[in-house]
This record gives sequence, structure tokens and C-alpha cells, in this order.
Amino acid sequence: MTSATAELERTVEALLFLSSEPVSPPALAEATGAELHEVVTALETLREHYEFERRGLVVRQLAGGFTLTTHPQAEAAARRLLSKPRTPPLTSAQAETLAIVAYLQPVSRPEIARIRGVSAESAATTLLERGLIEEQGRSQFGAVLYRTTDLFLKLFGLDGLGELPPIEAFDPPPELESELRDRLLRAGEARAGGPGAPSATTPVGIPAAGAEHEDGPDAPADADRA
Amino acid sequence: MALVDLELDLDVFAGPFDLLLTLILREEVDLLEVDLADVVITYIDHLERRGDLDLEAATEFLVLIAALLELKSRLLLPGEEIEEIELDPGEAVEELLARLLDAHRYRAAAAHLRGCLEREEGSRFRSAPPPRELRKARLDDARAVYDPQILVRSINDLLVIPPPVDLHHVTIAKVTVAERLSHLRRLLSRGRFTFDEAVASSDRVTVAVTLYALLELYKQGEATWIQDEPFAEITVERMTPFGAERRLSA
Repeated sequence: MTSATAELERTVEALLFLSSEPVSPPALAEATGAELHEVVTALETLREHYEFERRGLVVRQLAGGFTLTTHPQAEAAARRLLSKPRTPPLTSAQAETLAIVAYLQPVSRPEIARIRGVSAESAATTLLERGLIEEQGRSQFGAVLYRTTDLFLKLFGLDGLGELPPIEAFDPPPELESELRDRLLRAGEARAGGPGAPSATTPVGIPAAGAEHEDGPDAPADADRA
Repeated sequence: MALVDLELDLDVFAGPFDLLLTLILREEVDLLEVDLADVVITYIDHLERRGDLDLEAATEFLVLIAALLELKSRLLLPGEEIEEIELDPGEAVEELLARLLDAHRYRAAAAHLRGCLEREEGSRFRSAPPPRELRKARLDDARAVYDPQILVRSINDLLVIPPPVDLHHVTIAKVTVAERLSHLRRLLSRGRFTFDEAVASSDRVTVAVTLYALLELYKQGEATWIQDEPFAEITVERMTPFGAERRLSA
């Protein structure tokens, strides 16, 4: 390695240390006066150095830029050192709302509620407060539209939205689909069957994927946990 | 005024407002038959008769009457349910199924996101940003200091046409030959005089007009003058029939 590239690597490291937000390679190139490809190489070398020398910091590519984070190994000690608790985990309602915003952005609250089948009010408010989503103008009908923030990418370890798996990856298995259709058709027939028949409001929900689905239509419960 | 005191006399009901509420809620009085406008008018009449406004009671009334209005409008327009029934059962199933599948997808996506968040559990960021003055200024950081109205006011001031300069206090001195003629004749009547005496403390126009008047006197044969050398004093005197010395230096 020539002394010039070592010098650039050192400068880039200093700049990453100074920035609390991810810095894009073009911004680093502008600050260092080096060529973009030189900066990219320096970042890669720096990342390898940290990894190879098992340092306490990790160079991460997040939210369209580069940033230093702590090594997970230090987490237990960090918890003891710092009094502030980590960001609380998301409730199911918040995670679903966030997933809908992440995939469909910009998307309005009524649209979120339509997909989830229950009100997204308190979940959306909490996500806004935590800075994971933000407003992005209004729809043609005047509803506020939401999009995800850079903080969302940062906290979820994503460089960009393109790193999310395509939504088709979450298609339910075909057996579940046909089972659901059968149940819906039976419910419809039962309803048409006469006054004594069970109504279409018979629960036909899908078993929740992995997590319990605790959010009722008017349950503001997740607000307490925010 | 407490609402219990509100006595109504409607087509379908006569009695206190409370009782009407109770009967409506028990469905013993059909809300569709109750003229709510009459209830409001009765209430306003009561208010006027009392002359004072109990905000608490007024608010209570507003809430109750608003609830009744909403209930009544729902009874009058039971639209939504009819629409759903009109939907073809097959379509309804497909529509519901699509929604359920969508819900399923996003629930799975949500689980994926929670996994991402859990994987990031051990990674912390420096959360202390460098102090503001060390950061590169961005437009987002800019704070409005000046009121934009200042610009509006400034341009408005410039666009006003100033009032025309008022000249009415400036008078143009009007001196007539006739005036100066009579002035000179008055002086002549006392004997000889110098031109400087005739125009003492007068402005230039008066001096000039006085000179014209003097020439006029000469023409009329009333006066003549003597001047020893250019720019010397001019002495004016009555012209004698037997001829006085006539000299005028240019």
C-alpha cells in the first residue's frame, strides 16, 4: 500500500468518526479531495482493517452512506456503561404498519388500515414519534402520506429500500390460500342460507405469522409500550 | 339552565328533554319522528328567556343534540349495508381473499423487519452529533430570522407615488409699469431724486420695471436724468420746457 492510500484511509476514518450520520462516498470524496473510486477503496480497506484486527468498531454501509457502529460483542458492556435503554422492540401493530409503509410508500393511513383490517392510528403515531416514518405530502384526497426515514434504514441495518426482499417473498403458501378461499365460500353460503345461519362475520382470519396479533380495532395498547 | 328543566312540546312528545332522551334510547319514541330543529328552537327560546349562558349546560346540550342528529342521519341513510349485500358473493370472496392474503404478506414482512431490528441489536451509533457550529451549514438548518413582511412593506413604500410638490406658497412678484409710473411721479412731485432712491430695497424685477417706467416718463416728456459716467448714480428730475440737459450713458 502506498503512503497516499494509507493517508486517505486515515482521513476517511477520521471523517467517519466525526459524523453521527452515515456519510456518502461522494461527500467523503469532496471533503478529502480524492477521487470517488479511491474513497470507495479506502472505505473497503478500512472496513477490512477493523474486521481483521477485531476492533471494537465496525464500518457499516447504511442508509446510503458509511458509518461506524459498535461491535455487537461490546453490547453487554455498553448496556452496563450507559443508563439509557435501547430502543424498545416494535409491537406487532407497529411492525406491520412499518412494513406496509416500507413496501408501499408513499402510503396513507387509511390505506394502511385497509390492509391491516384494523386502525393504524396509534401505531403510525408511535412510528412517527420514534422517527422511523415521516410525512411526505398528501394524497389527492387530502390524507397524509407516509414514507420511511433514513433512521429506519440505519436501525434496521439496511443500505437502502432495495435491500428489502420483494413482497412476493412473503406470499402465503398455496395450501393456505385455497384453505382460506374454501372457508370464505362456506361462510358466504352460510350467510345466504337463511336467518338462522351464522353470519359472514364468523372469524376467518389467518393464523398470525409467528406473532400474536394483539391489536384490536380500537386498542391503543401499543401506545403504552412505545 | 340545567337540561332537566328543558320542557318540550313537540308533535310526538311533550315533557322534559331528559325523558325524551331516555325514550329514544329505549326506542319507545321513534327518532325519525322527532323534529330535532324544534328541540333546538325550544332550547334557544329558553336561553333567551333566562338571559344568561351556563356554558356547562350549553355544552352538554350541544353534545346531546349532535349525537341525536348523527343517530338520526344514520337512520335516514342506511346506505353502506345495502351496498355490501349487492356485491356478488363470488366477487366478495375474491375481494376478501385478496385482502387477507395482503394482510398475510405484510404480517410476514413485518416479522422480517423485526428480525432485521433484532439482528442489529448489538450495533450502536454515536448519538452525539458534533455541535451545530461545527457542522456544515445546510439549507435545512437555516432558520428564518427576518419577517418576510419586511420585503412586502419595503416594496409597498417604493410603489407609492409621492404627492406632487406644493408650490402654492410661492408667489410670483407682479410689478406693473403703471405702479412704478405713479411711484416715480410721486417722487418727482417732491423734486429731483436718484434712481437708487427710487428702487431702494427692491427686487430685480421691480428695478427693471422701474427703468421701463422712467423711459416712459421721458417719452411723455415728464422727466429726464443725468448720469456723469457709466455705473454712476442716475439723478432724475422734472423736465423743463426750456430744455434741460439730456444725457444718458449706456
